[in-house]
Amino acid sequence: MQVYSTPKSIKKDSKFTFCPGCDHGLAIKLTAEVIDELNLREKTLAVASSGCSVFLYNFLDVDCIESPHGRAAAVATGAKRAFRAQNKDRFVFTYQGDGDFASIGLGESLHSALRGENISIICINNTNYGMTGGQMGPTSTIGQITTTSPLGRNKNYHGFPIKAAEHIALCEGTAFSARCTLYDIKNIINTKKQIKRAFDCQLKGLGFSFVEILSSCPTNWKLSPKDAHKKIENELSKIYPIGIFKDISND
Amino acid sequence: MSEKQLLKGNIAIAKAALKAGCKCYFGYPITPQSEIGEFLSLEMQQKNLGYVCAESEIGAINMALGAVAAGAKAMVSSSSCAVSLMQETLSYAASDELPIVLVNVMRAGPGQGYIYPSQGDYNQAVIGGGNGDYHTIVLSPSSVEECALMTYQAFYLSQKYRNPVILLVDGFLGQMAEAVEIKENPYPEIDNSSWCLQGADNRPSRKIHSLEPNQDKLNQHIINLNKKYHTIEQAEADYESYYCDDADIIITAFGSMARITKAICNHYKKRGIKIGLLRPKTLWPFPYQKLRELSKKTKIFIDIEMNSGQMLKDVKLSIRDDASISFIGKPVGDFLKFEEITYAIDNIIKESNLASL
Repeated sequence: MQVYSTPKSIKKDSKFTFCPGCDHGLAIKLTAEVIDELNLREKTLAVASSGCSVFLYNFLDVDCIESPHGRAAAVATGAKRAFRAQNKDRFVFTYQGDGDFASIGLGESLHSALRGENISIICINNTNYGMTGGQMGPTSTIGQITTTSPLGRNKNYHGFPIKAAEHIALCEGTAFSARCTLYDIKNIINTKKQIKRAFDCQLKGLGFSFVEILSSCPTNWKLSPKDAHKKIENELSKIYPIGIFKDISND
Repeated sequence: MSEKQLLKGNIAIAKAALKAGCKCYFGYPITPQSEIGEFLSLEMQQKNLGYVCAESEIGAINMALGAVAAGAKAMVSSSSCAVSLMQETLSYAASDELPIVLVNVMRAGPGQGYIYPSQGDYNQAVIGGGNGDYHTIVLSPSSVEECALMTYQAFYLSQKYRNPVILLVDGFLGQMAEAVEIKENPYPEIDNSSWCLQGADNRPSRKIHSLEPNQDKLNQHIINLNKKYHTIEQAEADYESYYCDDADIIITAFGSMARITKAICNHYKKRGIKIGLLRPKTLWPFPYQKLRELSKKTKIFIDIEMNSGQMLKDVKLSIRDDASISFIGKPVGDFLKFEEITYAIDNIIKESNLASL
């Protein structure tokens, strides 16, 4: 008989404060499970960012630093280099939203991948700026109505969204890049597997590893949790395909 | 045994950083400080330390934020317009109480300006260019030897107070070579194991953050920071006093300008006019008390800067109301010449009837 228990790397008695139906809680829980399974809790430094993702440090029971908006990959780079300079073997990952990773922080993100920094990044892509109330972000899809694209994102007027996992896969320094999602059990299990693969790349010293998680934002999408996940299944995962775009761990 | 070497200020800073135990350097090229990164790039790679040619100054200082949080001593260096890019993270580092050492080898501004000599970043460094209620410690060397000594001091004070420290260097000084001996680091090591983030092993997990959604906690955090700033003001304000006792006139100047001023003091001494120099070595904390004390006796002050009068405001705040203050300055370019300064001082003396003293 298997008894469910909260992962060891989730703070005791913590209750997620995210909106109902938001995938952040699930993504953090899966991350915690992977940290537990790889025995990383005592040697991890997590880098939180700005936006809803910053609250990672309220729930994850590992050492955590908050980064200025968009700079998580640079903060992680500095920390990982500093551990190496001190002969300390430590695990460093960032947890960011799509606005943080792919808009304000795209320079830091992309250059960390290009350099092949031995860090891991989890990016929650919910196609809008969630914490500030659902403005158009770098990943908002063509036609998506947000508070700053009230007529829908128009490719001629607003420009195109970014497919982060595919871009990161193009970098020579990238060891692993995948996109996954959380709308059903099968995908939840797959997401955990991809996080584990990404973390494993860092443990093997292979370079930059990246997992983009296509996630729900029911509050700002103005959908019920159920319909938000249906939207991911039927619409978003067609635009942002689920898959592994680069993996050198088996080469 | 170390011996005297002919070194530029920039190289002296780089060498002292290594001796101070700097484990990581992050930088992006900009004149007139590029020699610091060039020198460290080979040394740090050979020593298996952390060196990243960052994608930008924003990247560089955030790498430093991560490195110091991970418990390593880390330094970034840059210049003026590019230091502007780092202000956001300095504000974070002040709030997070993270000991980043930032070297600003100044060029002229505003904007891109040029690589001409200038001391135009006094306000940015001392008042702060980032948001919120915070201070960075600011050290101002006036010789190549002091560039090295103050690099040691910068690492020490940053660790002691868990606060970012700026080494504010005139471009002139960064580029000028002098015969110096790089002495050993005189400061003790500060244990950072009580706060740095190296993994929650046999202790509760830690978080370092500036976000604080609880207003009472945020209030208390800023009050605590300001208590620390008060302690620093009481303990660390430092200056060099040159012929200031019973001076008729006291000149205030920092960095390279203070060197020329010493020659001025000697010149007037021969003419029987007592002119002293008060050179703040720490620009924040500023030696207010020393200047106030000096203004009990001396009633004529002259502030000399290579800018439009930035430290002038702090001198004005320091001296008593019955003392006068004049300003001699030039924003940018060739440093003020001896004759230019003496011409201006002669006029001040005439106006104040000091010659009859």
